[in-house]
Amino acid sequence: MSPDLFYLLVSLLFSIGLVGLLSRKNLFVIYMSIELMLSSVNLLLATLSKVLGDANGSVMALLIIAIIAAEAALFLAMIIHLYKEIRTIDADEFNQLSEAEQC
Amino acid sequence: MSNILTNIIFLPLFIAVILGVLRAPLKLLKVGAFFSSILVLLLVVFVIIDFDPKGNMQLITYLPWIQSAGIFYYIGVDALSLVVLTLIVLLMPPLYLYMYHEKRKGYWYNMMILQTGVTGAVLSLDLMLFYLFWETMLLPIFIMIGMYGSGMHQYNSMKITLMTILGSMSMLFSILYIGYIYFETYGIWSFSLDKLSLLSFNPQTSLWLTAGFLLAFVIKIPLVGFHTWMAPAYGSAPTPAVVIMSSIMAKLGIYGIWRFGFTLFEETLLFYTPFIITIALIGLLYYAIRAVSENNLRRMFAYSSGSHLSLIALGLFVNNIYAWGGSLYFIATHALASAGMFIMIGLTYQRFRTLDINSLGGIAQKAPLFTFFFAFFALSIAGIPGTGGFVAELLIIIGAFKENFILGFLTSFTMLSAMIYIFWMLQRVLFGQPNNSTPFADLNIKETLMLLPLVILLILTGVVPSLFTPYFEPYLTQLLGVAS
Amino acid sequence: MLNIIVILPFLSAFIMAVVYLSNTKPQRYFFYTLIGVGSPTIITILSLLSAYELLNGAPTIHTTLLTWINIGEFNIDISFMADKLSVVMISFITFIATFIHIYAAGYMKDDEAYGKFFSYFNLFIGSMLLLVLADNPIMMFIGWELVGLSSYLLIGFYHTESQNITAANKAFILNRVGDFGFIMGIALLFVSLEGTGFTFSSIKENISLIPLDTLNLIGIFLFVGAMGKSAQIPLYVWLPDAMAGPTPVSALIHAATMVTAGVYMVARYSFIYEELPDVGLFIAYIGAFSALLAAIIASYQSDIKKILAYSTMSQLGYMFIAVGLGAYSSGIFHVFTHAFFKALLFMGAGGIIIALHHEQNIFKMGGLKKQLKLVYITMFIATLAISGIPPFAGFFSKDAILMTTYASEHYLIWIMATFTAGLTAFYMFRLFFSVFHATPKEPLSVHSLDKSITYPLIVLAFGSATAGFLGVNAAYGGDALINNFLALPDRLTHISHSTEYLLGGLNVLLALSGMLLAYKMFAATANEPIENTFFSKLIINKFYVDEFYVMLIVKPIHLSSHLIANFIDPKIIDGFISIQINTYTKVAVLFSKLQNGQVRYYALYILTGLSLMSCYMIYKLGVI
Repeated sequence: MSPDLFYLLVSLLFSIGLVGLLSRKNLFVIYMSIELMLSSVNLLLATLSKVLGDANGSVMALLIIAIIAAEAALFLAMIIHLYKEIRTIDADEFNQLSEAEQC
Repeated sequence: MSNILTNIIFLPLFIAVILGVLRAPLKLLKVGAFFSSILVLLLVVFVIIDFDPKGNMQLITYLPWIQSAGIFYYIGVDALSLVVLTLIVLLMPPLYLYMYHEKRKGYWYNMMILQTGVTGAVLSLDLMLFYLFWETMLLPIFIMIGMYGSGMHQYNSMKITLMTILGSMSMLFSILYIGYIYFETYGIWSFSLDKLSLLSFNPQTSLWLTAGFLLAFVIKIPLVGFHTWMAPAYGSAPTPAVVIMSSIMAKLGIYGIWRFGFTLFEETLLFYTPFIITIALIGLLYYAIRAVSENNLRRMFAYSSGSHLSLIALGLFVNNIYAWGGSLYFIATHALASAGMFIMIGLTYQRFRTLDINSLGGIAQKAPLFTFFFAFFALSIAGIPGTGGFVAELLIIIGAFKENFILGFLTSFTMLSAMIYIFWMLQRVLFGQPNNSTPFADLNIKETLMLLPLVILLILTGVVPSLFTPYFEPYLTQLLGVAS
Repeated sequence: MLNIIVILPFLSAFIMAVVYLSNTKPQRYFFYTLIGVGSPTIITILSLLSAYELLNGAPTIHTTLLTWINIGEFNIDISFMADKLSVVMISFITFIATFIHIYAAGYMKDDEAYGKFFSYFNLFIGSMLLLVLADNPIMMFIGWELVGLSSYLLIGFYHTESQNITAANKAFILNRVGDFGFIMGIALLFVSLEGTGFTFSSIKENISLIPLDTLNLIGIFLFVGAMGKSAQIPLYVWLPDAMAGPTPVSALIHAATMVTAGVYMVARYSFIYEELPDVGLFIAYIGAFSALLAAIIASYQSDIKKILAYSTMSQLGYMFIAVGLGAYSSGIFHVFTHAFFKALLFMGAGGIIIALHHEQNIFKMGGLKKQLKLVYITMFIATLAISGIPPFAGFFSKDAILMTTYASEHYLIWIMATFTAGLTAFYMFRLFFSVFHATPKEPLSVHSLDKSITYPLIVLAFGSATAGFLGVNAAYGGDALINNFLALPDRLTHISHSTEYLLGGLNVLLALSGMLLAYKMFAATANEPIENTFFSKLIINKFYVDEFYVMLIVKPIHLSSHLIANFIDPKIIDGFISIQINTYTKVAVLFSKLQNGQVRYYALYILTGLSLMSCYMIYKLGVI
């Protein structure tokens, strides 16, 4: 099986994630898009590990899966907390750092 | 004895730091500040006694500071810096006396730091060290206008700071580039004035480098076109800061051109001479005319100061002994006169709480002694014979005539320029009927004593200039000899 | 001796100033009088002694007090010189000044600022003596300026009235305009003679080193100074206003001493002016026009002091005619005689003013010859003297000048001068008759005068009557003592005795007819001139010269000042600076739009950045 197919899949997944990240407002969707992009990178690592015959890649991929799990717990918890505070999960509402309006 | 100059520079700062660390009470602070100024004055008297007018740089201290970058702690005194140094230390004690009632502690600390800044700038012979002190003296002024000023003081303190920093930055660039050229030529870094003066630049570079220095000095003086910070800053600064700005810092602009400009870029300055002389001549009349319609006393004398500094700058760029002697003499005498004047204005403000000329008047009826001092300083700014200003103006006029007739003719307008506003001002402030029913106390003994030294010095400089000229005349002759 | 003469008045002025300032309340009348009158008395004695020395053939006296300055070739000493010219000047200056001081002691007795007055007065005397005795132009200039300063202080002596200060300002500023010329002359002179010393004697020796066109400039510039100080066209407008000062001031400064400084200066620099006949002619014309103009204006004035002020200006015109045409000693001789009768006139006028409770309008006076007998007689002598009636002082000196103008063959000057002589008699007797003879419109209450006011009048009246005998011409059987003594480089004139008698007769005739006309018009009833015709309006308003100056000089200065304050400084210069600041701010606003706080945009920026970096790496490093 040619690795090109995997590369294509990786690019596809990453692009979908990216578009989701940029275009959606819902924090959960943004979170899922980020996860998608992360997974695509993970897939790339695994693929390259197989292609190059280097186990480091697989190790890295496994490690990332573990981190994703931990991160998911943290991220979801933060979203829930935010929702409790501000009663919204619309990302555009969180613009306290904006410089534009103070000028 | 060899460290005397270092002591002169850092004694006020040292005392300020000690008092600050001890969190000294106000009374001790006042005594300490005054004591430090007297001590420094005494030290300078020692320097003057030992000073050899015929010699070059004296009392040199040359210590490594940041060796890798070739920056040295390099200070010394010659006739030029001695004049300015003497002025600084002469003016400090009266200013502290003037501030006697001041309760804000920061004020006193700032003045001490300011003194270190200006004396350091006058005495340093290493460009980097000079730059350091040059910026040091700006900081207290910024704070004093910003925190203790009146009117739109915060805006004005930003304005003066930004404009002078613009000049400082261009000067810093020039300094760094000169150091770099030295590095390219000799393989080591150095910022010492005597070493850098050995360099020869290619004309194009030299033009830009000179411009960098000149910008800093010209803004500090300030000549016409670079002056818009002046009146607002003078107008809202507290009196001691105004005195320092007008009597010392402005003179440091002239001093800078003299010390660094003429040492490093003798020939390139010739290129700028017509330009500077032109704006100086314009400034002479421009400020004087502007002062006519000014209704705030302090701002009026800000313009007056600008007018006379233009004359000093003019004399500096006319290369002969009379004009140079006149300029140097004017630096000293104008500093004394304008210090006196601004102190008088401050006293007026303390009594009337206003400086609007139209709401003053009739002071002569209420306070003869005050009137005498006020009129004396105003007239000495106008250059009445018997005061030092007259001698200086006369010398500059003669120097200008020696250069050429047209220049002499235009310079002579200084005889008229101050007339225009000073006499009308005197009429409205001192004479006529009072417009203000506030009781006006005459000068008390303390105030008289603080002003008397200035009066005596002004009269001495006017009646017997020969007491003072021997201190700088040989130096100038020698400098001109080298130049030609 | 000369040192003491100059320093003493300064010293006494200083002492009185210190005492006055230390406590202004107590009067200390005796103390101030002692010092204030004592010091001019002492210097009068000293001056007469030094004059006596020179009369006995002693050479010029030089004394050096100390070195003033030493820079390059600019080596100036504070040194004094008494040659014949300056000795004549100081003799009569100190003599008259002493009597005016005595007079002032009576006149100012009740003034609160008595001490201040005498301090100023002595300062003035010192400055004047410095001017006259100076050994070099710089010292002379210092005296010159100090004279202006003390005149400013004295004119503005009654400082609570704002208009007095305006007058003082006007005097000082116009004087300074003159000084502006004077200092240029001196600087040019110094620069042209650099290195050969700078005292009058050394300048005189080396004067030939200066090229003629430079010398011309020097001559004109120096004369500009004289115009200011001696109130000649076009700088004369301050003199009438200067009458705002106390009357002794007018008598001392604006009659006898300060205003004659210009004439003295031209005589002092006679070695320059004898090389420059063209400049001399210019001076003579200025003098002639000033004399005529002042006489015309004086004929229409009604303020007693202003009439005298214009008459002073007119007489100064005569002096300038003389020195301009090279008759230096005649000029100085007229200065000498004029000092006596003009001081007397002013002091008499002051007496009248005091007696009438500060009334100055001559048409509100009248019939005073009974009440003020002494003033009447002395004023009569002075009026005769100024009108040029022999044998009083004015006749001889004025006649000498008129003769010079005739002999110089500049007949226009001669005609103007002679006509002015007639006019002088007219306006002086107009004053005299209106004050003493005409019937008063309303009954006047008359003060009696202090002895210290009246006695000096007698002394000066004696002087006015006899001072002329010192310079009687050969034609009238004298031998021109004062001219011979002065030994100035006079241009020689040849004129026969018979012509001289003719001219003298003409002058006396004109003077008498002027007197007669005045008698007809004013002896019985005196009416104030009214502005009914164009000319009288023009003259009463002094030809609108003041208004002209205001429009031409004062207004433009104020306008340009406002222009700078409201336009150039804030709009152009600060405008240029604020353009940069504004650009800076605008760019900052633009950038701040990018930071809108929305995560997704930040992600986009990151993406863009990453893509660009990737493209760069791919392109540069050639990965593909």
